[in-house]
Amino acid sequence: MQRFDTARRTGVICRAVSLTCAAVLAAAPCYAQPKIDPSRGAAKAAACASCHGSPQRPPLAGMPTLAGQQEQFLVLQMFLMREGLRDVPQMAGTLKDFSDRDLDEVAAYFSRQTPARGGTSTKPKLHARGEVLAKGMACGSCHLGDYTGQRQVPRVASQREDYLAATLKAYRDNKRIGTDTSMNSILYQVPDTDIDALAHFLAYQ
Amino acid sequence: MNSALSRMLRSRAVRTLAMSALALTGAYALAQQMVTPQSKPPSEKAVKARTASGGYKPERMKNPNLAPHAGRMTVTQPSDIPLDKIRVPKGFQVELWAHGMPGVRMMTRGSKGTIWAGTRIIGRVYEIKDQGGVRTHRILAEKLVQPNGVAFQGGNLYVMAINRVFRYDGIEDSPNVKPVELTAAFKLPPEVHHNWKFIAFGPDSKLYVQVGSPCNICEPSDQHGQIRRYVADGSGMEVVARGVRNSVGFDFHPQTGELWFTDNGRDWQAEDGPQDELNRVSKIGQFFGFPYCHAQGIPDLDIKKKDPCKGVTLPVALMGPHSAALGMRFYTGAMFPKDYVNSIFVARRGSWNRTRLFGYDVVNVRATADGRNAKVTPFMTGFMDPKENKFWGRPVDVLQLPDGSLLVSDEQNGAIYRVSHKK
Repeated sequence: MQRFDTARRTGVICRAVSLTCAAVLAAAPCYAQPKIDPSRGAAKAAACASCHGSPQRPPLAGMPTLAGQQEQFLVLQMFLMREGLRDVPQMAGTLKDFSDRDLDEVAAYFSRQTPARGGTSTKPKLHARGEVLAKGMACGSCHLGDYTGQRQVPRVASQREDYLAATLKAYRDNKRIGTDTSMNSILYQVPDTDIDALAHFLAYQ
Repeated sequence: MNSALSRMLRSRAVRTLAMSALALTGAYALAQQMVTPQSKPPSEKAVKARTASGGYKPERMKNPNLAPHAGRMTVTQPSDIPLDKIRVPKGFQVELWAHGMPGVRMMTRGSKGTIWAGTRIIGRVYEIKDQGGVRTHRILAEKLVQPNGVAFQGGNLYVMAINRVFRYDGIEDSPNVKPVELTAAFKLPPEVHHNWKFIAFGPDSKLYVQVGSPCNICEPSDQHGQIRRYVADGSGMEVVARGVRNSVGFDFHPQTGELWFTDNGRDWQAEDGPQDELNRVSKIGQFFGFPYCHAQGIPDLDIKKKDPCKGVTLPVALMGPHSAALGMRFYTGAMFPKDYVNSIFVARRGSWNRTRLFGYDVVNVRATADGRNAKVTPFMTGFMDPKENKFWGRPVDVLQLPDGSLLVSDEQNGAIYRVSHKK
């Protein structure tokens, strides 16, 4: 597969192809994408485990769990970080030499792992407050009722509490971008205390 | 909120541009500046109001697990674009005019034929040249925060990101010109949501700019929920339309010069609406209903007030439930049959906040110059399969070429199609 960078630096030349394209497409399947191979992703992903700890919970503060994360979410976020659209210096270095295909395969690998669960909360009041907020803000609509996510919407269940809190605050403060602005919108003006409760609740799902 | 906002805007130093010319493409890398609102912490009451009645009500929908569809950020090869699925009326043809530009959205055209196109999340502005029937493109700017707005006047290209504004002087003659930053002059609010800009120059030579409401449903501040116009240098701001939720497309009537605009209806009220709108501004400063009154007079379920539709200018046409009616232009060309003249082409990016997909097409709207007798007809379809409830393409903008053919941008496939007609 052609490296994304090469494609864009050289510019892509296109012709008026309506008739030929239609003829070719009639005979060939339209979505002949290369088959994604998670095992190839495993080799590429070996470097990730020291920080992300997959499939266990990550040992480092503020670090997300990748195991069981949504495949499409992983691809898009890695793309944003590789391209410098989402500014995470450590990741930009790691992803520098990843092709689009590498992103697909690494995402396929992590998304097929079974994540470690968060255990039981020892702060029932904070947990209860977080639950009220999560229901009131309808987090489960996009992230689903068990908060495992769908498509580009990430699994937030059983992530590290410090990671969740920092991410939610970054969205509120427009320091973090997603693939749309839903999170910026939903967290508009939500105070730290409520974000901390939400993060606590979700970390123990 | 407003005084906090204006304090913040005053205190923010005009940013300098970090530029590094990329030798290969001549593109400028514009250092990304994420926008940080510094509004004071909200009260407990404000948050309660938000969580209790912020309008996110999945229980009102048949499928409570609806979420926006993610775009594709990697290049789609022409062989993966099923052009043969696109349907247009008899006598029209569709060709793949340009491709390889992930996230391509709003388009404008220079006086010497260059096309520029904005994007959202991928942060780029593409420049496309047609050289003897072959299209080439380069990335003019990158790493901006949602540079959706592009417009051209007097030899200069204007690019508008969420709250940054650039002018590329004489760009068709000086392709490597450094942009002039006009951000400070335009004083746009920093909120990201619904604030990717649509911009266009009016017949009065002023720059019209949308500033959406930063929410699904809320009482917007007096800085939001409006379409404004400015002198091209950012001075002389006036609010042209109020009570706007999120307009991502407008144009000026070829006969009257009046502003007509599309507006996206709110989510989570019902699967079947309130429908998106096509509006006409017959008086500067008119109020179009958001957040109290939607579509053809539907009161909001969350933000309630007495007589919610009193004083509200109702739409010329309803554009479908959650259809995301975005880019629109009046047709003035000589190529299409005569009855298309002064009609409107509207790109509908397609729904996410309903169980059955809706939109994913380009429609043609015919109405009298004063906005009566509107009729919406499908024009370019096939991007969505209603049986499978799946889509493969998302039309976002339309742009007429001098020969009367119509360009249609497809954000999902990073492609631009050209629709032409043979007599």
